[in-house]
Amino acid sequence: MKWRIMKLEVHDAYLNMGTDQAIMESVEAGKSAPTIRFYKWMPSAVSIGRFQSMQEEVDIEKCKELGVSYIRRVTGGGAVYHSNSGEITYSVIAPVSIISKDIRESYRIICGWVIDGLSKLGINASFAPINDIVVDGKKISGNAQTRSKGIILQHGTILYDLDIKTMFTVLRVSEEKISDKLIKSVEDRVTCARNYADISLEGLYEKLLEGFTVGKEFGFNSCTEDEMKRADTLAKSVYSSDSWNFDR
Amino acid sequence: MGVFLKGFARFKVPGGKLVEVKLDYSDSIKNVQILGDFFLYPEDALKDIERSLLNLKVDESEESIARIVSDVVKKKSITLIGITPNAIAKTIKMAVGK
Repeated sequence: MKWRIMKLEVHDAYLNMGTDQAIMESVEAGKSAPTIRFYKWMPSAVSIGRFQSMQEEVDIEKCKELGVSYIRRVTGGGAVYHSNSGEITYSVIAPVSIISKDIRESYRIICGWVIDGLSKLGINASFAPINDIVVDGKKISGNAQTRSKGIILQHGTILYDLDIKTMFTVLRVSEEKISDKLIKSVEDRVTCARNYADISLEGLYEKLLEGFTVGKEFGFNSCTEDEMKRADTLAKSVYSSDSWNFDR
Repeated sequence: MGVFLKGFARFKVPGGKLVEVKLDYSDSIKNVQILGDFFLYPEDALKDIERSLLNLKVDESEESIARIVSDVVKKKSITLIGITPNAIAKTIKMAVGK
């Protein structure tokens, strides 16, 4: 099984989520190889889980003020702040048959690739079921998966740097909670690669790429023209629409 | 159109995820939305669970609500991760103040 690897790209929130879905459809149709892609978000964005309420989770006015996008994912899980300079997101899109039928096990397998990448930086991370990766008990990566017609889409974020203040400005937490006390407690629960390794974001990407590809047959390629067109359509018609983003 | 009460409750499933229930009710449930950071496959099937709770008497026992949710889960081959029928039932009872 030959994998397609897509090198680190930067897109806005709508195209990032549209691309994941376009690739998923293409893999399902047998038109594309199983794919691993790496990407960043420009502008920075908040993504919420499929079953969360946008109004409840996100301070829309603050997002507008700061130029931060907001989007609903197709996957469950919680709200995430995707800082343009503070994290790398990956997606794995592949037939269930080559990962695992068992959902919990497939989280473990794919998160294992993140853990392998981090280990190449000397970061000793471990899988924390259901969907987290932790270092010294602190979360460094959150992951979420959906499945459709025999295809897995799992995406996840690996924190490079922390900007807790902005995170809690755009995520809906009352003013009084953005106190030093809360920030301290979040710092006790969340960490990032920079806390453990003197590397650039590019350096983190290189090691993640190694972790994701070791032992796999693969080639570098980008989206096909059809995937790009479909991603663009989905970005415009679904992922940037209020009917999708404010569905709940 | 009657005037409905609004209910909201939040419950963190031990070892699991957060479940929230928002509903309109009188002596029975008129509208219900289940929210949270859990996983549920296939995702569209959450609407089937929500539909199964409409018009349910608010005095219905937690066990009976859990059973109704369980039945939908089985019938629609739903996989729940980080959430359970019992947790949904418990949160609904909390939201109607029972």
